[in-house]
Amino acid sequence: MERQSDDWEQLLTAANAGDSRAYTRFLHAVSPVLRGVIRAKSGGLGEASCEDVMQEVLLAIHLKRHTWQAGLPVRPWLYAITRYKVIDAFRARGRRIDLPIEDFVDSLAADPGPDPTEAADMAKMIGMLEGRSAEIVRKIGMEGASFAETGKALDMTEGAVRVALHRALKNLAALRERHVK
Amino acid sequence: MKTEDLIRALAADTQDTRPMVSRMLMVLVPAMAVSLAALWLVLGFRADLAEALRIPNSVARFALTGTLGLLSARLALVLARPEGRDEVRLWPLFAVAAAALALLGWAYVTTPADGLEMAVVGKTLTTCLVTIPLLSILPVTAIMWALRQGATTAPVLAGFVAGLGGAGLSAAIYALHCTEDSPLFYVPWYGLGIAGVTLVSTVIGSRLLRW
Repeated sequence: MERQSDDWEQLLTAANAGDSRAYTRFLHAVSPVLRGVIRAKSGGLGEASCEDVMQEVLLAIHLKRHTWQAGLPVRPWLYAITRYKVIDAFRARGRRIDLPIEDFVDSLAADPGPDPTEAADMAKMIGMLEGRSAEIVRKIGMEGASFAETGKALDMTEGAVRVALHRALKNLAALRERHVK
Repeated sequence: MKTEDLIRALAADTQDTRPMVSRMLMVLVPAMAVSLAALWLVLGFRADLAEALRIPNSVARFALTGTLGLLSARLALVLARPEGRDEVRLWPLFAVAAAALALLGWAYVTTPADGLEMAVVGKTLTTCLVTIPLLSILPVTAIMWALRQGATTAPVLAGFVAGLGGAGLSAAIYALHCTEDSPLFYVPWYGLGIAGVTLVSTVIGSRLLRW
């Protein structure tokens, strides 16, 4: 991975201004750090479950990325959001954990490994979405289709696909909340 | 689903990144405008509003409630950030409360003994205790709605400042109608109205602001 941990602020600023590529780089840059913290805390939960938690956290970061205030450091924001969601995710799996902020600083970034573990929960949640939403998330995420291609395949305008993708991601988070409670 | 695939889907979604400040103002300003219009249409402004703005005790009413409202709305914005819980400072709220109590004490010693009861009970107690909570509904809802889009990690405290903010601003609006200029009236009764709204909002926030 490239050395890019120094400019998380720049990346997120660009991302929030609509720069998809900067946002991809941002998510790639923070992922190993989050994964490291989650694995260190997992207490034998298994890599696949850790990856499930990781994806929940990423989804939360995504849906709350506008709560980062430009000009402030990203790390305290990122750690606070991650801490809240990781504690929540472990609680949902019947574990109580303690996650002081210092643990983020101490934790080593974890590489996903040559073949990152497939996580099961998110796919399940996507399956619970309404058919067209699920299709849009799969096409854009797994197949790497563009908005134009997805629109063409589903007979929708590009703009409608954009709106639908955003709604689908919000619904995924809401589904997960309900699933847990 | 592989994390890589999820990241691709997330990165494609560039919608809805407006900052929290504009989200809050977008709902709070109209909510206050409606409350203001409702007060004006139903109860009207006090006839001597212009003169009242030259009476220090009357001006203090706007200053205290307005400051309380604005400070709390500002704190709501801090708490809307996940790391805000560690940064939020509540002492300015206590400072406003202390100023109100000091004003109350000063009014108590300077008001002639035979006029005390009349000043405290006033003439519009019921109107005050009903109208402040009613005017608060929209502003509190607006702040709460904005906070729901935030990422607070302190839902109870966030519900508290949402109530205090909405009720404080609404009390300032109500003061445009109310002719009770004595701190002996407005400190306890405005205070009670604001406290009631804040209590309800705290309970609602503790449930509604988890995510």
